[in-house]
Amino acid sequence: MRTFAYSRADSVDHAAHRTMPDAAFVAGGTTLLDLIKLDVLKPENVVDINALPLKRVERLDDGRLRIGALVTNTDLAHHPEVKSHYPVLSEALLAGASTQLRNMATTAGNVMQRTRCPYYRDPAARCNRREPGSGCDAMDGINRMHAVLGGSDACIAVHPSDMCVGIAAIGATLTLQGPDGEREVDFADFHRLPGDTPHIEHDLANGELITAITLDAPLENARSHYLKLRDRASYEFALASCAAQVVLDGDTIREARLALGGVATKPWRCSDAEAALVGQSADKASFERAADIALKDAQAREHNGYKIPLARQAIVRALRNAARGETPASETQESQA
Amino acid sequence: MNDMTQPDFDKPRVVGQRTPRIDGEFKLTGRAGYTGELHVDGMLYGYPVPATIANGVLESLDLDAARAMPGVVDIFHHGHFEALHRSPNSMAHGDMVNEVRLPFEDERIYYHGQYVALVVAETFEQARAAAQRVVARYREERGAVVGLLQTDAEGTLQESAGSSRGDPEAAFGGAEVKVDSTYHIAAESHLQMEMHATLAEWRDAGKRLVVHESTQGVFFQRNAMARVFGLAQENLEVISHYIGSGFGNKLFMWPHSVATAVAARMTGRPVKVVLPRQQDMTGGGNRPASRQRIRLGADRSGKLTSVIHDSTTETSLVHQYVDTCGSATPSFYACDNVSTSQRVLEVNHGTPCPMRAPGEVSGIFALETAMDELAVELGMDPVELRLKNNAEQDPASGLPWSSKHLDECLTSAARRFGWEQRNPAIGSMRDGDEIIGYGMASCTWSAGRQPCEARVELRADGSLFAACGTQDIGTGTYTIVAQAVAELTGAELSRIEVKLGETSLPAGPLSGGSMATATVLPAVAAAARDALDALKEVAVGSGGAFEGSDADSLSAQAGGLTDGKRRVSFEEILGTSKLSSVNGQGSAAPGSERSEYAFRSFGAHFVEVRIDPEISRVRVARVVSSIDIGRAINPPTARNQVEGGIVMGVGMGLLEKLDYDPRDARLINANVADYIVPTHADAPEIDVELLDYPDFKHNEFGGRGVGEIGLTGVAPAISNALYHATGKRHRDLPITIEALLASS
Amino acid sequence: MMDDSAHSPHPSDETVRLDFTLNGEPRTIEVAPNAVLLDVLREQLGLGGTKKGCDHGQCGACTVHVDGQAMNSCLRLAVMCEGQQVTTVEGLARDGELHPVQQNFLECDAYQCGYCTPGQMMSATALLADERIGTDDASVKEAMSGNICRCGAYKNIVEAIQKSRAQLGHDAARKEGAA
Repeated sequence: MRTFAYSRADSVDHAAHRTMPDAAFVAGGTTLLDLIKLDVLKPENVVDINALPLKRVERLDDGRLRIGALVTNTDLAHHPEVKSHYPVLSEALLAGASTQLRNMATTAGNVMQRTRCPYYRDPAARCNRREPGSGCDAMDGINRMHAVLGGSDACIAVHPSDMCVGIAAIGATLTLQGPDGEREVDFADFHRLPGDTPHIEHDLANGELITAITLDAPLENARSHYLKLRDRASYEFALASCAAQVVLDGDTIREARLALGGVATKPWRCSDAEAALVGQSADKASFERAADIALKDAQAREHNGYKIPLARQAIVRALRNAARGETPASETQESQA
Repeated sequence: MNDMTQPDFDKPRVVGQRTPRIDGEFKLTGRAGYTGELHVDGMLYGYPVPATIANGVLESLDLDAARAMPGVVDIFHHGHFEALHRSPNSMAHGDMVNEVRLPFEDERIYYHGQYVALVVAETFEQARAAAQRVVARYREERGAVVGLLQTDAEGTLQESAGSSRGDPEAAFGGAEVKVDSTYHIAAESHLQMEMHATLAEWRDAGKRLVVHESTQGVFFQRNAMARVFGLAQENLEVISHYIGSGFGNKLFMWPHSVATAVAARMTGRPVKVVLPRQQDMTGGGNRPASRQRIRLGADRSGKLTSVIHDSTTETSLVHQYVDTCGSATPSFYACDNVSTSQRVLEVNHGTPCPMRAPGEVSGIFALETAMDELAVELGMDPVELRLKNNAEQDPASGLPWSSKHLDECLTSAARRFGWEQRNPAIGSMRDGDEIIGYGMASCTWSAGRQPCEARVELRADGSLFAACGTQDIGTGTYTIVAQAVAELTGAELSRIEVKLGETSLPAGPLSGGSMATATVLPAVAAAARDALDALKEVAVGSGGAFEGSDADSLSAQAGGLTDGKRRVSFEEILGTSKLSSVNGQGSAAPGSERSEYAFRSFGAHFVEVRIDPEISRVRVARVVSSIDIGRAINPPTARNQVEGGIVMGVGMGLLEKLDYDPRDARLINANVADYIVPTHADAPEIDVELLDYPDFKHNEFGGRGVGEIGLTGVAPAISNALYHATGKRHRDLPITIEALLASS
Repeated sequence: MMDDSAHSPHPSDETVRLDFTLNGEPRTIEVAPNAVLLDVLREQLGLGGTKKGCDHGQCGACTVHVDGQAMNSCLRLAVMCEGQQVTTVEGLARDGELHPVQQNFLECDAYQCGYCTPGQMMSATALLADERIGTDDASVKEAMSGNICRCGAYKNIVEAIQKSRAQLGHDAARKEGAA
């Protein structure tokens, strides 16, 4: 683990104005220290932002929910506002990582989570995301964990977050504070597709800091479910996951929100599939049609082809469970905690 | 031997009784010193630099940046290392090693993670930071052998690892019912929680070497190090008091130990190396992948007429390791025509080594899946098929079993599991979204025993002391040694101190092969008897507590001696005679019984899987097992071994696989997140019954050892249950989501 | 041998002062900026009870309490603990009396090699004090899944936790675990 200088930021302005070269903010540390130890991230300066006053969760007058950047995953998952108005986010959070990691990891840190691609995590491998232009060893390597949606010739690394999938299905705005002041970015636009520049992972400039994430007002009368499919029962990244929200009028779907995890290069909102669900009856045929639409552009490499049928299963089951407004007992412990 | 001190082993007082671990408090308070957390004055930290290729040549090392880092004391590598000798690598002479190649021996790279340098610095942080600044340049070569399962290569036949009786080929050819299937098992990692660790210190001006090592065999490591360094064994001490488990990969020495000792000698200071997890997984042992073909022939009644078991496993390019898959097969079922063969293929991996139930667990997966296939072919209940072919004597040796109760294991576990409620029709048992599958398999492991020495002291302060140079890797050896001493002396357990894991103690066995219990306890008993005899001589001697009595008239009772009329405590007897202690030596070894009986444990696992086919999710819900291990010396710790084996079997069946890059043989999932093992949430409901049939032909305590058997048979029971649920036969491990999707 | 004097000072020569509370005792130490809490506990402070099993937040053997919350000490810089209360396994027993969770691990044989055990117990004590986590076996298993036990003593660990819950009572458990 390389050496670096350490300092503590005592105000947001202070942090945002500290435009040191090769600086990294540390909050929970669960991604940063992991990757510094692997020699993947090499900051010369680490700025501890844990003292900043970014730990509040507040309901705004317009019904939205503003979440401070430093609210931990545990606190957010169990927050009364989230549990009652955004259960899909609570489920997604609790499906992620472990108790200990959720106690450390923060909301903004989770948004900034790096991919788990083994070639990204190994400095001896070629990786366009870590080292632009070096090539991609995942493309023809062990790519079982890799993306079938949103990939490019340069990169097929998966965005690993569960929380972000829940947020994608809700809709949100990020508040960023930089040397030139504050700005807001739509959550859906924050994470970048890899394209030719996979090393540019998000819309955050040097020195900018995420200070809050504001969830859209909850869908009225929505039922929801987050389903995470993985090899083992807990403490593993998703192979495919789905956050689903539906608003029903009798048996008819009036509104739908659908997002996928574990299969895409960024938290993946399925707008076309959502549109196709509206006005349809809440049955298996509709869900399968929506899944086919959501996955119509999916592309597989040698070892990740199974993710297409698996994601299809995740979508159909998540929609079914959401529409039923219940989670079968056999799924409760694994995907809902 | 004195009959008066012979405890009544049919009705033992302590042995066989639930006994909380005597080392438990140390483990539970954090005071147990595992190797990696030990400190000695002036100690330096070493951090190895691993090769980032799997096949090629190390062309150069640029050490300037690393040398300039603060705290760096020295960097060792091929051009800067001591000239050493290889170990003869002999099991018989106790100097076997896990990798005969010495560290930095040449500049060829044979596997990913092979050490190319060792950085030594004042602090751990400094050593790690500097190790990352070492720049190694390689000439990578094409043609790395990625693994057995990625090639059609046949490998080299190992004549000595095969066996044959009857005419299996002819019998198979003429069989009324046949199964002919091929099975593949991916390479696995031991993933023991504590990584390999060494702390080496030279004393007496470099004449004497003291090594703390997380090892399953202090004597093997001492002997091997003596050969490597050209030292007299007496000038070497290896210590291992607490071991964060091993599962076989800490049986024998690895190169990091040698590198650490050399670094300590060349820097003139003690050096500690704890392998990072990635290096532990690339170069610290693995269970090699296997490819097995099984041919079974039977008549229409289900009687086996032929078993042919051909196996190939991986070894590395720097060390020959043979993971004999067929070793249980000749003894498993009554059948006149049986053959096994074994091949090995050299691959560009770190050297494989024994992993819990080595060879046999892989072989039993193939054999017990094939038996299920045969039951399907015959339209016969799989339990019935196994009972029908139960071997009443050992068909391999023709000897009677010392004690065997497989039939009772099968019937008892079936009853407790509710096997009679199984509807044999595929996919016929449902619960909501889930299909329920019931499957079963038998399990087995050989019951070995080695020579052993031990020492027991009775002390004037009232304490007792027992010592043996074996180890407790978590199986509970400390506690059963204390139980044996308590049994023979009648002393309270709290008064008994047990010392293990040092080569300064009487020579003890490896903690492996499920042999330690049967090996160590008879030696401890002999030492306790010898100590009691010594005390009796003191007691009846001039001025003694029983002056003038006949020593043979005395017996041990409740931590004292009694003549039947009065009891005098050990401490009073010693005090009366102004002695600090008496000392008993004991040794024990297997004898003629080994040529009169066959020794092997058997059992059965019954498994319920639940598969939700619409989301490709399979979970093992329930395991019910009955295992016959003779007498369990300490039932809770013995049962814990079987339960842990079952959990590991869930991993073997559904999760575990080392992933080598198909282009260059680099191990890409050498971490605890990407190499997946069962978590709490994966642990099924487990019900383990240990039958209680003491095997006194094996040893006077009647115990046969229990470390491995629980793992064997679990994976085939899972695959058989999945067949029952889905009708798809899974012959490759692990059974992944991809395999489930392919079958739907 | 190397001669460091020839080289310019490097950031890692510098240390940062850290004031925190360790197992109830105020402590002031100097640590390197890149020193990880786990390594500082094990190598600098001689508290070997907290274990290293993966060093990347993947096994849970390094679990400690930071201000009463279970955390992976391998992913936390020591300097980040400024002003915080850190509790390790060495801080569980009081006045030579085992904590009920320790006692029940002993009674239930909730371990084998003992290496993951401190982490298991630190998670267990935090879990018992956290009313947000369900009390049924399935909830306990899910909440404990960040602690890998390769020996596979999971059944006995859950038994020990549930036995502790029954003994401690909910309120008492919260007090114990938060300490």
